[in-house]
Amino acid sequence: MFLRFVAQSIRRAPRRKAMAIGAVALGSAVATAMLGAMLEVGDRVNRELRSLGANLLVTPKSASLPVDIGGIRYQPAAKDEFIPKAAVPKIKSIFWTLNITALAPSLHAQTEIGGRDVPVEGVWFLRDLRAPDGTSSAAGLRALNRTWKIEGHWIDDRKPDARADECILGEALARSLALQPGSALNLFGEPFTVAGILSTGGTEDDRALVRLEVLERLTGRLGQVDAIEVGALTKPEDAFARKDPSKMKGEEYDRWYCTPYISSIAHQINEVLPMALARPIRRVADNEGQVLNKVRGLMLLIALAALATAALTVWSVMATTVLERRYEIAIMQATGASSALIATLFGAEVALQGFLGGLIGAVTGVQLSGAVSQTVFGIHGSPPELLVPLVVVVATAVALAGAAQPLRRALALEPALILRERA
Amino acid sequence: MFWRFVLAAVKYRRRRLLLAFAGLAVAATLATTLFSIYWDIERKMRREFRGYGANLVIAPAANSPTVPLKAVEEAERLGAVAAPFIYAIGRIGDERVVVAGVDFRRAGPLTSFWQVDGAHTAGPGQCLAGSAVAAHFHVTLGQSLPLASGACVVRGIVSTGGAEDNRVMVPFERAAADAGFQNSASMVEVRADGNLVNDVQTALAHAFPGADVRVLHAIAETEASVVLKVRSAVFVLALVIFGITTLCVTGNFSALVLERSREIGILKAIGAPETRIAALFLSESMVLALVSTVAGYALGLAVAYEIGRTIFSDTAQARAVGVHFAVFAPVMGVTLLVAALATLFAASRIWRIEPAMILRGE
Repeated sequence: MFLRFVAQSIRRAPRRKAMAIGAVALGSAVATAMLGAMLEVGDRVNRELRSLGANLLVTPKSASLPVDIGGIRYQPAAKDEFIPKAAVPKIKSIFWTLNITALAPSLHAQTEIGGRDVPVEGVWFLRDLRAPDGTSSAAGLRALNRTWKIEGHWIDDRKPDARADECILGEALARSLALQPGSALNLFGEPFTVAGILSTGGTEDDRALVRLEVLERLTGRLGQVDAIEVGALTKPEDAFARKDPSKMKGEEYDRWYCTPYISSIAHQINEVLPMALARPIRRVADNEGQVLNKVRGLMLLIALAALATAALTVWSVMATTVLERRYEIAIMQATGASSALIATLFGAEVALQGFLGGLIGAVTGVQLSGAVSQTVFGIHGSPPELLVPLVVVVATAVALAGAAQPLRRALALEPALILRERA
Repeated sequence: MFWRFVLAAVKYRRRRLLLAFAGLAVAATLATTLFSIYWDIERKMRREFRGYGANLVIAPAANSPTVPLKAVEEAERLGAVAAPFIYAIGRIGDERVVVAGVDFRRAGPLTSFWQVDGAHTAGPGQCLAGSAVAAHFHVTLGQSLPLASGACVVRGIVSTGGAEDNRVMVPFERAAADAGFQNSASMVEVRADGNLVNDVQTALAHAFPGADVRVLHAIAETEASVVLKVRSAVFVLALVIFGITTLCVTGNFSALVLERSREIGILKAIGAPETRIAALFLSESMVLALVSTVAGYALGLAVAYEIGRTIFSDTAQARAVGVHFAVFAPVMGVTLLVAALATLFAASRIWRIEPAMILRGE
């Protein structure tokens, strides 16, 4: 009997029901799309900011103070200050391995060209790095600085070759030596060909880059590197992140250790590389956090505004559907239905509409937020699965809440009054 | 007479109209909020990138060891922030150390990422020590660092994770005098607003053909791409939400007509022409839409201001949300149009209503 009532109500006025369901669906779609986009935008911007290069620098623990200006050393580095190349993959074995997007080891030296000292850097350009756990990922300068562009071509160093004779010159250096891609020059007394010319605006513009193993051979520092640049996805630092970890208590320390703050990632790198010191590059790391905080905060507030609106819409639609049916309620009351029965009847109807509308809206919203990230970021992101059931439950609850107040009012009124008004 | 009908309709069905009003006002509020944020998100986001410091560097070209100091004034004239730096080798005891001459007043905005323990600037006879320098020579705040060219009192200890950690920062004039720089610097760092970078670069390169003016591509391009993406994300979301909320409102406005079949029947029975009845409903919704859009717009500005204040609270200028006619006009236009279309769509029923059937109660 009860179910027949509900079914009849829907069959008798399908258009009105469809409109109510449609309204709930639209509201839920807004909510889902906003929540999905909010999560997506923060993530994407974080990755986008990573194109600024490394935010952590790992250098050997040193007893002497490096004295260099623009890559030229005015004091030779001590022989025992290096990080063994074999230890580099260990960085990919720390707790936050997955947040390390790229790393680039390098070795620095200088040579004389045309009567002046020129810094030469031995680097990995782009190669697969096999982590201790067997997974492999892209590493090297190009993995770290994806926006770098080159005139000529990059050096393909996927296969190690200590005899290779290609080098890459910084734009300012190439200009002052009047060299183009394809030109020949001598480095450390050996002939090299210029493969490409790199222009970044930074210190790279004055340098020559060669394969790491080539510079190891030329300088006789086999198996050594003296810097590792690391790019890590981090959580913006807050007051908690800036506390001194050595003064933290057990549980607090665990929480700090298990949060991808730049400082805790640096700490974990120091744990696996005891001969080295990892330091956050403040210029990149701090601003990254700041920009990210603003973007996330903005998206959160926009999402809240949209959620409030969606809830209000659903609320008002449900209130209207009850308001419209005061006459029916009066008839039911007049024919002896108890208030509880009527409330359950309407509640079931409203809940059904909220559920259906919420489901349709959530599914549409997921598509919409995917379309938004496709348009904006060119990547089809997918919001978390949990979003759909969450939105459905909330939509149903808001629909019920919207219907509750007008229903109570309708039940409190004298049926005779409403019936006479209508007649 | 016509307007009395409209006003009376508003008066007698206050509750029902209030719901329709609220629905539309909320849509207008959200649209205003989002489009206002979109309008100046670029300016606000670019401001956030100032913390990254310089995005242009003027370096000496190969044939000269220095950059003329005039470059600083020229860059400032072009509306950029600029500061000269001198790098030289100094001595402490028998060890060498890099001494940087910094024009602290000018360099302030370019070095906001420095983490400094103590003061950010140093006067005559004072200096800032990089964290590695301080650790290496065992000096702390307030102690004297025995530079060979004259001891200085450490006013602050700088930690950046970069080259500054290994340097001693002294006032620019002192470094210039010590290293023999006259009206020149080792390097000039420039921060131009993101959208001006290339213009400033071209102008400076033209003015100083003897220097090498470089754009720090990573910073300039990341800024451009992040700002663009956040901006377009807000725009697309604004469109989606505005579309959806106005759709919701159409239902409300159609219902305003559909509910009143009885009244329409009576009006027709006493001889009112259909067009006149439709006009009646249309003016009712237009009045409603107009009032709710204005209310929504005002509320939307307030919300946008509040969001701006919460997120970008650093400066008064960043908080400001302007009244943009370019936002108001489309919001107003679309809401009125949607309300009109919804009403007219429902009003098409007026022609099909048979007064006799309706009045008999069917």
